Amino acid sequence: MLYYDQYHVPETLDEAFDLIHTNGGNYKVLAGATDLLPWAREGRGGDVNYESVIDISKINDLSKWQLQGNRINLGANVTISQLLNNPFLRKHIPVMAKSAVWFADDQIREQATLGGNLVNASPAADATPPMLAMNAELTLERKQKGKIIQRKLPLDEFLTGPGKTRLEAGELVTRVECDSMLGYGSAFEKVGHRRSLVLSTVCLAALVSLSDDGQEFEDVRLALGGVGPVPIRLKESEACLISQPIDSDLIDKSAVLAVKHVQSRTRQEYRREVVYNFVKRGILGACKDLNTTFADIDTDMKHRGNYG
Amino acid sequence: MNAPLRIFPKQKRGRGVAAGWYGIARTATIDRAGAWAELDDGGTAKIITGVTEIGEGILTVLAQIVADELGIRPKDVTIGDNDTARSPEAAHAGATRQTYMIGNAVALACREARQRLVKELAQKWQVSEDDIICSNGIIRTLDHSQSMTMSEAVQYCKNRGVVPVGSGSFTANHTGLDPENGSGNPWQAYVYGAQVAEVEVDTETGEVQVLGVWASHDVGRAVNPQGVEGQIEGGVVMAVGQTLMEDYKQEEGYPTSMNLAKYILPTSLDVPQVNSVIIEDPDPLSPLGVKGIGEPSMIPTAPAIINAIYDAVGVRIHSLPATPEKVLAALREKRERADTHEMLA
Amino acid sequence: MASFDIQMTVNGRPVKQSVSPHLRLLDFLREELHWTGSKEGCGAGECGSCSVFVDGVLMKSCLMPVAKAQHSEIETIEGLEEQGKLNVLQQAFQKTGASQCGYCIPGMMMAATAALRANPYAGREEIKERLGGNICRCTGYQKMFEATELARDVMNGKLTIELLKEEKEEGPFIGSNSFRIDTSSKVTGALKYAGDMVMPQMLHMQVLRSPYPHAEILELDTSEAEAMAGVEAVVTHRDVQGIDGFGVFTDDQPVLARGKVRYVGDAIAAVAAEDVLTAKEALKKIKVRYRELVAITKTEDAIKTGAVIIHDDVPDNIVMHIPIRKGNVDKGMAEADFVIEETYYTQPVEHAYLEPEAGLAYLDADGTLVIQSPSQNITHHRQKLAKILDMPVNRVRMIMSPVGGGFGGKEDMHYQGILALAVLKSRRPVRYVFTREESIIASAKRHPFSIKYQLGLNREGLIQASKIHMLADAGAYNCSTEGVMRKAAILAAGPYAIENLMVDAIGVYTNNTPSGAMRSFGAMQSQFATECHLDLCAEKLEMDPVELRRKNFFKEGDETHTRQELGSVSMLEVFNSALDLADWETGISNSRGATRSDLAQSGNRPPCTLGARQFPLETIPTGQAA
Repeated sequence: MLYYDQYHVPETLDEAFDLIHTNGGNYKVLAGATDLLPWAREGRGGDVNYESVIDISKINDLSKWQLQGNRINLGANVTISQLLNNPFLRKHIPVMAKSAVWFADDQIREQATLGGNLVNASPAADATPPMLAMNAELTLERKQKGKIIQRKLPLDEFLTGPGKTRLEAGELVTRVECDSMLGYGSAFEKVGHRRSLVLSTVCLAALVSLSDDGQEFEDVRLALGGVGPVPIRLKESEACLISQPIDSDLIDKSAVLAVKHVQSRTRQEYRREVVYNFVKRGILGACKDLNTTFADIDTDMKHRGNYG
Repeated sequence: MNAPLRIFPKQKRGRGVAAGWYGIARTATIDRAGAWAELDDGGTAKIITGVTEIGEGILTVLAQIVADELGIRPKDVTIGDNDTARSPEAAHAGATRQTYMIGNAVALACREARQRLVKELAQKWQVSEDDIICSNGIIRTLDHSQSMTMSEAVQYCKNRGVVPVGSGSFTANHTGLDPENGSGNPWQAYVYGAQVAEVEVDTETGEVQVLGVWASHDVGRAVNPQGVEGQIEGGVVMAVGQTLMEDYKQEEGYPTSMNLAKYILPTSLDVPQVNSVIIEDPDPLSPLGVKGIGEPSMIPTAPAIINAIYDAVGVRIHSLPATPEKVLAALREKRERADTHEMLA
Repeated sequence: MASFDIQMTVNGRPVKQSVSPHLRLLDFLREELHWTGSKEGCGAGECGSCSVFVDGVLMKSCLMPVAKAQHSEIETIEGLEEQGKLNVLQQAFQKTGASQCGYCIPGMMMAATAALRANPYAGREEIKERLGGNICRCTGYQKMFEATELARDVMNGKLTIELLKEEKEEGPFIGSNSFRIDTSSKVTGALKYAGDMVMPQMLHMQVLRSPYPHAEILELDTSEAEAMAGVEAVVTHRDVQGIDGFGVFTDDQPVLARGKVRYVGDAIAAVAAEDVLTAKEALKKIKVRYRELVAITKTEDAIKTGAVIIHDDVPDNIVMHIPIRKGNVDKGMAEADFVIEETYYTQPVEHAYLEPEAGLAYLDADGTLVIQSPSQNITHHRQKLAKILDMPVNRVRMIMSPVGGGFGGKEDMHYQGILALAVLKSRRPVRYVFTREESIIASAKRHPFSIKYQLGLNREGLIQASKIHMLADAGAYNCSTEGVMRKAAILAAGPYAIENLMVDAIGVYTNNTPSGAMRSFGAMQSQFATECHLDLCAEKLEMDPVELRRKNFFKEGDETHTRQELGSVSMLEVFNSALDLADWETGISNSRGATRSDLAQSGNRPPCTLGARQFPLETIPTGQAA
């Protein structure tokens, strides 16, 4: 059970930092609360006691988003539901919506926030691979001697291990910035043990843009979750496709390169095979999403047995 | 020159079938249930028995039985709470026994209560008891010459100093098994079932989706067909869970799946469409002919699914659950076997 | 403890109260306002029994600190009725028989309401997605989908409201779909389950459970817990006055551990206190000194000679061995054209009824001990308790509270004895509500089996002999193991006429979570093996698996495996009707899915590809290239 004596609901960042300051060490910041409450139970965190809980979900500034150049700047309080349903966000970062539809269920998506999902740093977090693929950068803020100190950190540097990040004491993730993906096709692949309310065993975000004649990959972005301590970007797999023709052998090579990233504690053999399949499936799905025409390629790529 | 990108589906479908059988009520031991019935003021009925509504709809089944036995309507029936200090023993909710054991006990109790009432009316109307029928809250003679409402009939009885009550005890004469060779008559009523399952297997993830189940079950006599369907659908889906995802895990005695995030149950997105057909082969050894459905509904599902997976992708899963990991591993082995075969050839 | 002023509207009525800030919205509704329609099934957002609307948005109230709902408008199941009458959706649930045990229904009704509010024309696939956060363990969801579709069509005027009426007003009623007589209590949230009940002066109980699979208890000191303010009783095995021990077949399980614990979760001591928090704190003050013993966690280790003994009176760790012998198996196998072997395994399964165990116990005015709980077998529990407490049977009164799903898991008397001890010691009403975690670790599971199967057949496909050896993990206590072994053995060989038969079902003690009764009781496991094996045999014989079964089915007058003469046998009719319903295509071999002509006809659902509703094809938001 989760116990606390005080529940604070600041309405501005300033108020939040003041509360953090006055509460010394024994406080907990929450946004959606959808990870914290299930964690504070028998078999996981057990009975957890804080003096104060600081609920930042009512800080309105953190719920807003805007387009800045070709980057989307999202407040940390944007909910998974907004990522799924908001037309503007669906236009600019559709892969988030494709991942959000797999995220828990309708009800939890209403409460859970993007910032919370990233800070929680679950190896299998569904929001992380798409954000990695979109070159996400976090804004972290804290207040020291009455002054707001801001720093920015790419998402892949922010995440350091299961449940571990570079977030410092007194610091809040306030914003998440990522590329607008206009012009890209996207796909999100996920497998777990069922179809709703399910943890990813493996998940993958794929983004693809093509040359004007549709014959070559212009850009390819791939990121994986569920296969190791932190979700990761597949740079090598991307590199072997960028500026290359859409070719089944190359796609296969790209998939093979992804396999070595499986570093989970369990079910490695399974994950390796799924990663191999998902990279291929994700790239082809993202191409198909662009709805353009191609020279017919051999997409019935048989298992070649050389991925491991 | 350019054609739309075609992605070859990696999902394969298949079908499987399985049969099954089950015995009704307690196994290899005598089973019993008791009930009390009263035709009550206003032409209603009060039934007291140690019945356990566990969600299967047994209270409704009993109300329908009582209504037909007494010639009233299910909504006129009140069933008392299950209370060891207030109601007669009807034993446990399990062994697919309640409709069979308690249904028949309640029918017997109603018959006795009805007989008490009919006896008084037969005297009044100067007809034989057999010439009186009760239906839909009216009691009358066969030739329609005499009738009154059930409410009036109860009042008439009471005015003559008779309370129309009855009790029933139903026995199932099962015998124990011989300790050496197991011979014996463990049940007096058997039921049979068969199911077809259709699956889709994703050969790239090992995921299995059960798309349809076609189930046929003999229930003796369906008191409430919708309730029977409900039991079949619930049983099939529980079995789908056990076949594909549910697994209570322990490591050296320490449980590792102690919440519903770790212990995976089927959601609305994981369940097949279930199509049922109900077969009625009435039990000849009991007043109502009913048998049961609660447990037998889930017997054929798991093997039907496993056989369907084989039909779809040619791998046999011998251990439950058939998780994506297991299915993909089996597919890999199959591929490797085929490769070896090719190399040797 | 600090308090927090909370203000909100619940089902249209303003509410203002000062509460402990750590309450969740669900606690506030249930414990403070006594709106108990919303249920707690898991406390972790995994089941949806607690779903309510918060400012018109469906949320899981177990995941919401009450302060988050400050100044909001809450709608619960209790608010659905319109002028005291069931609304259209509730009537549709009634019409389709969509509620069974009823425990998931309050959340499910809210989810179905949310689905139709979000899209009054939602199709079945969208409805399924909208219900995807709500688990039902009884119905298989089918009737819930039907109910939501029916309500949708009635609300849209596509179907007449007359369709929601009961199909029959006049008898006979057997054979008709009479409305469930408990529907309205379930679709309105009015029905009180044990965990919803309260009494004046009621105490709350918590139980200390073993952290070890197998250990000796060297010391059990409760004095510090007893001294705590707010603690009214601490009970241990020392409080048992009669003959300790309960079980369905043998009384091998003490109410509270007696010198030894046999599985992780074994109950050791319990505290009844003024509130749950105090009771939990008191548990931490109970001192237990353990000496860990070797734990047996595999069935094959349990039956090795010299294995650690788990129950002193059962030196071989064998709970029950049921043999069935008929004819001459060796001869049958020798004469068979094919002898086919395989081993099958089934896993332990949790019942996962949506209602975790709960009970309320008290002393009647005349001193009779009363226990209300969702027990599947109150008469049996009364007998056992009278013996354990050394009380006359008629001074122990068990009342069945509404059962929020059981599936066999509520046949065992896992906690009623502890409640009884706490009431007798405190002389006050005591309530005990399990958490989901507690329910999962403490309650019995479906027995995991390993099944060695050997079947001898002749060329024509007639079964000549069957040899089935089953080893099952009974876990730490017998529970229903004896019965499960019996049923597994009797039914194992399936509904097939077999002359030569040798079946063994052996259940053994281990230090795993106990195994007990679960729907289909051993027969599910044993027939899983049989029906898989027959398909394997059909392939080896190059036969149609359907034909193989038909050739061997029991017929009227046949002798069963236990040598009982059968009366009418409906097997063939049942089998053929399932195949007809499925429009089954006959065929010789297996693994012919790719070439079947009977796939994907009516009766199927489409494969689930999430997001159909979010991404209707024509509106997929995609890049500029599109």
